[in-house]
Amino acid sequence: MNLIAPIILAPLAAAAVILLLRRASTVFALAGVVASLLSSAGLLMAVMHGSSYQVIMPGLPGMPLLLLAGRLTAVLAVVVAGIGALVFVYAIGYMKEDAEKVRFFALLSFFVAAMQTLVLAGDWLLFLSAWELIGFSSYLLIGFWFQRPGVGASASRAFLYTRTADLGLYVAVFLLVAQHADTAIATTLAGNNPTTVLAGLLLLIAAMGKSAQTPLHDWLQRAMVGPTPVSALLHSATLVAAGAILMIRVVPVLPPEARLAVGLVGGVTTVVTGLIALAEADLKRMLAASTSSQYGLMLVAVGAGVPLAALLHLIAHAAIKSSLFLGAGVFQHSREDTAFTNLRGVGRDHAWVFSGFVVAALALAGIPPLSGFFSKDAVIGAALAAEHAYLLAPLALAGTLLTGAYMARALRILWRGDTHAGHVVGLRWMGAGIAGVVLLAAVLGATFGALEEWLGAALPTTILAQVSGLSAALIGLALGWLVPAPRLFGPLYRWAQQGFTIAGGIDALIVRPVLFIARLCARFELSLYTGVLAIGRLGMTIARAARCGDEQGIDRAIFALAHGSRRLGARVAALQDGLVHHELALAVIGTALMLAALLAGVLYF
Amino acid sequence: MTAHDLYLILPEIIVLLAAVGALIAEMLRSPRLALLVTLAGLLLAATQSFAFIGMHATAFSATYRIDTLSVWSKLVLLPASALCVLLARAELRHSDREGTFYSLISFTTLGALLLAAAGDMLFLVLGVLLSTLGAVALVAYPRNDAATEGAMKLFVFGSVSGAIMIFGLTYWFGATGSTFLNDLARLDPTSLATAVGLVAVIVGLGYKASLVPFHFWAPDAYQGAPVSVAAYLSVVTKIGAIFALAQVLRDVPMASAWPAIIAGLSILTMTYAYLAALVQNDVIRLLAYSSIAQSGYFLLAIVALGRSPLALPSLIVFAAAYAAMNIGAFAVVATTGRTLHTYRGVGRSAPLKGVAMVVFLLSLVGIPPLAGFVGKFLLFGAAIDAHFTALAVVAIINSVLALAVYLRIVVPMYQRAETAVAPTSGSSPAASLTTAVWLIALLLTLAIGLAAQPLLGRLG
Repeated sequence: MNLIAPIILAPLAAAAVILLLRRASTVFALAGVVASLLSSAGLLMAVMHGSSYQVIMPGLPGMPLLLLAGRLTAVLAVVVAGIGALVFVYAIGYMKEDAEKVRFFALLSFFVAAMQTLVLAGDWLLFLSAWELIGFSSYLLIGFWFQRPGVGASASRAFLYTRTADLGLYVAVFLLVAQHADTAIATTLAGNNPTTVLAGLLLLIAAMGKSAQTPLHDWLQRAMVGPTPVSALLHSATLVAAGAILMIRVVPVLPPEARLAVGLVGGVTTVVTGLIALAEADLKRMLAASTSSQYGLMLVAVGAGVPLAALLHLIAHAAIKSSLFLGAGVFQHSREDTAFTNLRGVGRDHAWVFSGFVVAALALAGIPPLSGFFSKDAVIGAALAAEHAYLLAPLALAGTLLTGAYMARALRILWRGDTHAGHVVGLRWMGAGIAGVVLLAAVLGATFGALEEWLGAALPTTILAQVSGLSAALIGLALGWLVPAPRLFGPLYRWAQQGFTIAGGIDALIVRPVLFIARLCARFELSLYTGVLAIGRLGMTIARAARCGDEQGIDRAIFALAHGSRRLGARVAALQDGLVHHELALAVIGTALMLAALLAGVLYF
Repeated sequence: MTAHDLYLILPEIIVLLAAVGALIAEMLRSPRLALLVTLAGLLLAATQSFAFIGMHATAFSATYRIDTLSVWSKLVLLPASALCVLLARAELRHSDREGTFYSLISFTTLGALLLAAAGDMLFLVLGVLLSTLGAVALVAYPRNDAATEGAMKLFVFGSVSGAIMIFGLTYWFGATGSTFLNDLARLDPTSLATAVGLVAVIVGLGYKASLVPFHFWAPDAYQGAPVSVAAYLSVVTKIGAIFALAQVLRDVPMASAWPAIIAGLSILTMTYAYLAALVQNDVIRLLAYSSIAQSGYFLLAIVALGRSPLALPSLIVFAAAYAAMNIGAFAVVATTGRTLHTYRGVGRSAPLKGVAMVVFLLSLVGIPPLAGFVGKFLLFGAAIDAHFTALAVVAIINSVLALAVYLRIVVPMYQRAETAVAPTSGSSPAASLTTAVWLIALLLTLAIGLAAQPLLGRLG
C-alpha cells in the first residue's frame, strides 16, 4: 500500500466532492485534511523504519513525474497536514456565517493538496506545477472576499509579485534540466559546476518572492485582506514556506558564494521587516511583517549552511504563527477590526484566547522552554558558527531582539485598555483550533532533539548562542513593553510605517508596468470586439435587406389577404390580382437579364 | 416500339401501375392497401433499376435515355419517394382521400423520372407538366387557405414558366429541325434562337428546381403544404429537374456561354437564399430557403459538365446525400414543430432526435464525415476542375453563411426549455412511423458519408 497517494489525493478529492455536492463542506474538508494527516503520519513511521517511498508516473518521454518520500519530506508533509488540520478546525468556527463557505473549503482543500504535492515532488516538472498551483490557489484565497473594495487589487498584487519572482525558478529549472538532461531533483542537484551558482541565485529570487523577502516583502502584508484562517495557513506551513522549503532542499549543493547571498538576503529581511512590524498599526499586518522577518532568520540558517536549523525554525514558526493568527482572528471578530487602536484591551475580553496568544508570542520571541527557544537557538548557533559569522550573527541577533520588541508591544496594546466584549460566533471551534496549535507551539521543542538525531545532522549549539539569543530576546521584550514604538524609531517612524518604501518601492518595477500592459491589451480587445460586432451588424443588415426585398412586402400582403378575404374565390381573385404578378415580374426581369447577357455575348464576342 | 424498349422502361411502368393500383385501392376504400401498393411499387421499381447500372442505351428511337443519370435518378428518387410516403402516412392518416395522395406521389415521381431520363424535348415538356400538376394537387391536399394559396402560386408560376419553356423550345426545334436532344449539338452557338431556347429551358427547369429568381413559389408552397409534401417537393421534383437540366445542357454547345449563365445563377441562388434564411422564424420556411440554396450547389456540377470527369459523379452523390439529409430534417420538423421556439430544449428532452437533427443540419452545411460533406467536396472539386475556381470559392464562403443559418435551429435545441414541454405523443403509431423515417435518413446520411468511396466506384 503506497502511502504517498492519499496524502495528496484526499484533500483533492475533498475539494472535488465539496464543489460537486455543495453541502456539508466542513465535514468533507476536515475528513480530507485528516486523511492527509493520518497517511503522512503513517508515511513518517514507515520512513523511520527505513523504507523510502516513491511513485513514478508517466510524464514527458524520458522525464517521468516523481513523488518521493525521504526523511525531510515526510516531516514536512506531517507539518503541513497537521497545521492544516488545526486551521481547518478553527475555520469551521470562523466561517460559520459566511455565505460562500462551500467555495472557501473547496479552495482551502485544494490548496493543501497543492502544497503536499510541492513538498513530495521528486522532479522539477511536478515541483513547478505545484509551485504554480499554490500561487494560483493562494491568489483565489487572498481574493476570497473579492466583492470588498481593495481585495481584488491586493490579490492581484500578491500574484504579480510572486509570479515575477517565479521567473527565476523557471530559468533555474531550465538551466538545471538542460545541464543534466534529467528532471529528477536529486540528479540535477548532484555535482558541482559553474551553472549551479547561477541556478542557485535564480532559485533564491524565486524563494524571495514566495517567502516575501526584502525587497519583495510588500505583497505579504497586503495579502492580509483574505480570511484569517487563510492567512494562518499561508504564513505558517504553506505558501510562504514554499520558498524556504525550496532553499532547504537545494542548499547542500549551493556553492559558498550563493550561500552567502542567501544568508545576507535573509539577514537584511529579518531586520527590515522586523522594524516594519514594530511600527505597524494593524495587528494582522504586524504578524505578516513578522512572518517575513522569521523567514529571513530561516534563510540566515540556510546561508550559514545549516538547513536543519532552518527546518526546525520553520516547524516551530508554523505552529507559533498559526496560533498568533488564529488568536488575532478571534480579536478581529470581537472588535470587527484589526487596527491596534480598536484592539486596545481586547485581551481581557477573551482571557483564554489571550493566554494562548501570550504563550505563542513568548515562543516566537524565544523564551524557554517553548519551541521557539530551541529553534532560534539553533539559528543563532548556526550564524555564529558560519564562515561569515561577522555578517550573519549580528543580523540574526538583531532580528531576535526585534522579534521580542514587536511581540511585547503587541501584547501591551492588547492587554491595556477598556474591555467591551463583542459577541463572537463559533468560538468553540475556533478555541479548539487555537488550543491545538498553541499546544504544539509550546511543546514542539521537545521533539527537536530526536528530529536532529534522526535527520543525522548536528546543530552547532553553544552556550554563547544560548546566552546571546536569550538576552537579545529579553532585551527586546523589555524594550517593546516599556518604550513606545514612536520613541524607539524617532524621525524614522513614519517611514517605517510605510514599509521603508523608496520611490514607490518595487511596485513601480512590477505592478505598474504589468497593469499598463493589461490595460493596453484590454483596449486592443475592445476594439477587436467592436470590429467584429460591426461586421456582424453589416451581415445582419444585408440579411434584412434581402428579407425586405423578398419576404416583407409579400408576407404582409399574404397576411392582409388571409384576414381580408374569407372566401376562396375572393382569395384567388386577390392572389391573381397583385401578389403573383409582383413575383412573376421579378422572374421575368431575371429572364430578361439572362437573355440580355447571352445576347451581349453573341453580339460582342 | 419493341419489347426491349418496354423492358428498358420497366421501372417507370411499375411506378405507373402502382399509381393506378393506389387509385383502385382508394376506390375500394382501403387507404392501407393504397399505401402498400405504392410502397411496393416504388421499391420494386428501385430494385429493378439496379439491373440497369452501367447501361448506356436509349429507348423509343433515342427519345428516352437509359444512362448513368437516369438510372441513378431512379435509385435516389424512388427510395426518397417511399420515405416521403411513410412521412405522409404518419401525417395524413385518417384524412379524406388518403389513397389518392399516394397515387399523386407516384404520378409526380414518374414525372421527375421522365425529366431525368429525357432524350427528347417533348419528354422534357411531358415531365415538367406531369410533375407540376401532381405537385399542385399534393400541395392543395389539406384544403385550407394556406395550402390553397401555396398551390395557386405553384400553379401560376408553373404555367407561366412552362409556357416560356415550350415557347423557347420551338426556337430550338426551328433551328435544328428535330426534337432530339442529341441534335442540339448542331445549334449555332451565336444565333438568337439558341439564346432564346437556352433561357427558356433554364426558366422552365429552374422553376422546378427553385433557382433564384424563379423560386418565389417555394417558401409559400412548402409552408402551406403538409410537411411530407414539402419534403417531397424539396427532394424529388427538384432533383428530377436538375438532372433534366444536365441532360439538356450537356448536348448544347459550350460556346453558347451557358456555363457562365449557370455559374451566375448558382452564386445568386445560394447567396440570396442563405441570406433570406438567416431571418426566417418559421422552420419550414427556413428549410425551404435552405433547399433553394442547395439547388445553387447542384449547379456547380452542371457548370462542370463536359469539362470535368467529376461532374456526373458529384451530381449523383450530392443528390443522394441531399435526399437523405433533407428528408431527415423535414421528418424531425414533422415531429417537433414549425416555429423556432418549439426547438428550445429538444436536445435535452429527446436526445436521439436532437442528435439526428444536428447531424442532418451539419450535413447540409457540409461538415465531415457526413454525407453532405462528401457531396459538396466533389462539387467543389468538379467546379475547380472545370476552371470555375471563383465559383467554388463563393460556394465555400456560402457554406460559412449556411452554418449560421442552421445553427439558428441547433442552438435553441440545447438551451434550457422555458417551460416543460410535454413530449409530443411519443408512442402513437404516427410518431413511431416518423421516427422510423428519420432514423433511416440518419443511417443513410452517415452511411453515404462513410461509404463514399465504394459509391463512387459504382458510378465509375
